[in-house]
Amino acid sequence: MKKFALNIAAVLLALLFIFPLIWMFLTSLKPDGVNVYTLADWVKWSDLNTDNYVKVIRDSQILHWTWNSLVIGVLTTVISILLSSLAAFSFSKLPFRSRGIFYVLIVSGLLIPTEAILIPLYETALHLQLIDNIWAIVLPGLTNPIGILLLKQFMDGVPKDYIEAAQIDGSRSFRLWWSICVPLTRSAMVSVGIFFFILSWNNFLWPYLAITSEENMILSAGLPTFLSNNNMSLNLIMTASAIAAIPTILVFILLQRHIVQGVAMSGVKG
Amino acid sequence: MERSVIENKAATPLRRREPIHLLKELKAIFYLIPFLVPFTVFYLWPVIRGAWMSLHVWGIQGMQKYVALANYKKILENPDFYSYLWNSFYFVLLCAPTVLVLGLVLALIINQRIWVRTLIRSVFFLPYVLSVSVVSFIWLKLFDAKNGPVNAVLHALGMNADINWLTDHRFVWWAITIATDWWSVGFVMVLFLAGLQEIPTDHYEAAKIDGANAWQRFWSITLPGLSSVMKIQIFYQIINCLKLFGQVQIMTGGGPGDSTNTMIRYIYVTGFKKDMFGLAAAQSMIFCFIMLLIAVVQFKITDRKDG
Repeated sequence: MKKFALNIAAVLLALLFIFPLIWMFLTSLKPDGVNVYTLADWVKWSDLNTDNYVKVIRDSQILHWTWNSLVIGVLTTVISILLSSLAAFSFSKLPFRSRGIFYVLIVSGLLIPTEAILIPLYETALHLQLIDNIWAIVLPGLTNPIGILLLKQFMDGVPKDYIEAAQIDGSRSFRLWWSICVPLTRSAMVSVGIFFFILSWNNFLWPYLAITSEENMILSAGLPTFLSNNNMSLNLIMTASAIAAIPTILVFILLQRHIVQGVAMSGVKG
Repeated sequence: MERSVIENKAATPLRRREPIHLLKELKAIFYLIPFLVPFTVFYLWPVIRGAWMSLHVWGIQGMQKYVALANYKKILENPDFYSYLWNSFYFVLLCAPTVLVLGLVLALIINQRIWVRTLIRSVFFLPYVLSVSVVSFIWLKLFDAKNGPVNAVLHALGMNADINWLTDHRFVWWAITIATDWWSVGFVMVLFLAGLQEIPTDHYEAAKIDGANAWQRFWSITLPGLSSVMKIQIFYQIINCLKLFGQVQIMTGGGPGDSTNTMIRYIYVTGFKKDMFGLAAAQSMIFCFIMLLIAVVQFKITDRKDG
């Protein structure tokens, strides 16, 4: 009996949680002008159609923004995983005296969030002529030390014997990294990478400031321009949101296990 | 396999005594350089630069004049600063406890053998992968005063109240909190789940034999078992809430009046809307100082061995 109540509660809670998303998708499929707020209209399945999608894609740059988000996300993720892995390798497998200092320096990067250094970051990007350039988003995205912390843990798990054996065979340290440590920490790299990709994809404030032309905008920052456009109806706004949501939802469904693992790793470490 | 890898880390302390060997040092540092370059240019330099800018009158076109601590004086004498700072902390008070408690409850539910457990876990986690713009758009419309589903549900439940969720200062923070909780609770849930799975089951069995009821088992086994995740998450959520910007920018624009203007939005408006970079940099410095204080308190608390 108690078990049954718990099950019911879980299902009800889950329905409550998914409701906003279902509402968004249903609204995006309703014709313009239909009152989607009354229950009777809401469940009228016959009038569902994809006209709004055609309209939003035709009248806005949303697909172009999606492409930009994708390019920036992939660049940021791949580069930052490689940089983090190299640094983690150095901390974990190349014993050196000053590593304590460097480690503290890098970890201190967790203390102050980007949001709090917006002004000087903007000024720096301005000087480097990066404003309104996709590199203005990619490059600052590479400074997250979390990847180093996590990958170092996993590198520490690579047995010393492997390294020593390879050294005796005359391997140089770059090969130790690429041929031993990278393959052995691959699953961790994938989890951290997906986590980085989602962070980049959903990054809002900095792209909102650093990109000024509609053409270079990324999806998360471009979306609010729909609101300033007053004649946008509710249906179209929900359509735009749905278009922005679909790629991450798909990524989530396909790579769920890795995402959840990546989150669990990153959060427990803080 | 990965679990054992995690446990190994304690075995390798970071500091070890080794003789200084210059070539070895340089080689190791060489591997750090690819990370250190963007880190220095886009993180360390802006932190230092920000401190310098805060001592000047500065506009988008560059430095105008050195004014020493005048910016700081101006900020601390301005009552707006305190009200925005209070707004930021008010959101921490609303959002951090609710998201932690809700995350814990969801984790406890998912940790039981319930129907379609993986699917339900995914449903709770799903909003976390959406961007703040999508989340804000959805809730902006759900909370719509005239036609929003939230008010429609309240009507259906017999409440005859047309609540202006986003324009009434009594409700607006709750609206933002609900949207934020919905967005981020899955993240907290996953961490608590990971923590719950670390607690050995024989502790529960032993407690059952000793006659402890569910409530007692929760207080004396589950909560202490989660304490390390909890401590990290409390501070993480505090910092996260202090960074509030996207939701208010999109859902309320800081209104009604100034009631949802937060520190980050204050810095944004001062710097980018009013073109006062120096003043905004000084606001950032004060804000960074507050966050650093919180981080120091965190380290003090989480470092204690007995905790």
